[in-house]
Amino acid sequence: MLTAPELLWLLAAVAKGDEAAFARLYTATRAKLYGVVIRILRRQDLTDEVIQETYLKIWRSAGQFDPLRAAPISWMVAIARNRAIDIIRRRKETSIEEEPQAMEVATDSPDPLARRELSEELQRLLACIGRLPAERQRLVLLAYYNGYSRERLAAELDTPINTIKTWLRRSLLDVRECLEHD
Amino acid sequence: MTDEDFDALAAEYVLGTLTSEERDTVEQLAAKDAGYADRIAAWERRLGTLEAMVDPIEPPVELWMRIRASIVEIRPDAALRLPEVVEAVAPREILDDGNVVVLSQRVRRWRMVSTLTGAVAAVLALGIGLSRYQPDMLPTALRPPVRTQIVEVVRQAPPAPVPPAPTPARFVAVLQRDASAPAFLLTVDVDKRTLTVRRVANAPESGKSYELWLVSNKFPGPRSLGLVGGAEFSKPTLASYDPATISDATYAVSLEPAGGSTTGAPTGPVLFTGKLVEAVPPPAP
Repeated sequence: MLTAPELLWLLAAVAKGDEAAFARLYTATRAKLYGVVIRILRRQDLTDEVIQETYLKIWRSAGQFDPLRAAPISWMVAIARNRAIDIIRRRKETSIEEEPQAMEVATDSPDPLARRELSEELQRLLACIGRLPAERQRLVLLAYYNGYSRERLAAELDTPINTIKTWLRRSLLDVRECLEHD
Repeated sequence: MTDEDFDALAAEYVLGTLTSEERDTVEQLAAKDAGYADRIAAWERRLGTLEAMVDPIEPPVELWMRIRASIVEIRPDAALRLPEVVEAVAPREILDDGNVVVLSQRVRRWRMVSTLTGAVAAVLALGIGLSRYQPDMLPTALRPPVRTQIVEVVRQAPPAPVPPAPTPARFVAVLQRDASAPAFLLTVDVDKRTLTVRRVANAPESGKSYELWLVSNKFPGPRSLGLVGGAEFSKPTLASYDPATISDATYAVSLEPAGGSTTGAPTGPVLFTGKLVEAVPPPAP
């Protein structure tokens, strides 16, 4: 992964119509975005579509990226995630699970953190999420990484939907408060 | 609605838990009110760092060709304004080795972080629903382990040696645009490195040519195999490629000006793509 200043340089070039820069940006970021989206959509064909739309949007609106407001990779991931959530919210989740392409593959993933170093910002966020009761930590993480709806979260945590709604609202506000007072 | 309610709504929008009707409402609010769009941006920034924990997964090679085709003739909306305080640096090389960010250690926080990282690991370990027929999609850590079987040799009767199944020499590819009608049929003899292309689609309009490309992770860009489709059968050459590259590559046909692309890369839209499959299945043992 390139650093933020390098991604920013590429975005500025893309905003001027530089196709070679766009190709380099794609090479540097495609796998991250693909990994984020496929966790949510669980289907390769839909993920391909979303990634294609995402990069088209990046091509068009690179000039609107505000470097003071976000990190380049977060901006790109947000575009991709947003589109993926749009799609999965419009389809009923049960129908996606019934479709043969979406098979759950149980995997033995090694500790994903072993070979990573965490940025200062990420550490602070994890610390704040870590202050939530264990169930609500899981709630926030399942929602973010897997794109689960409230219904799916209610099923996963064996908790009524109204409670889930309350927990989500409260947990997010608590995380915000924690980040602001850190 | 209180200020907190507004903010919680923006937070849930970014997190992804709103229904699609609620999402529509939020998007309309953000379109009318720049302050609300700012709230959403603030939540994207707060939660956005979580992406660092997600394993990268390589998309299919041909996705890039579709993206390239879709940006042709679309101009970016506006130039990016770079504020002076922010640094932009030309990248020297592309590194595809995941996220490594230098950090400063804060011991006070570390205890909290290390308990949560277990929770994150548990969520990420849930695995993602991918067809089991595409194990290459998964990052190395997640691929199903190769199973080796140890066969006991019975002493009394040494087993007759089993001849290895002959590798099928002939492969075919159907080049088509998604699920629509096939346009080109390729027949490849991997050992002899011959390729026959039969055009099934209509001949290209006058002033245009179809050009065939070999797309492989081994090369930075597609490699031209020449023009196809002028006559019904053509014989481009694969002589300069090794059998592994030939059999794993994606083949694509783009629409170029008459005579083909002059740049060494596709300049026109990529209309049809396909991969090789075995024409003759190996005989049963």
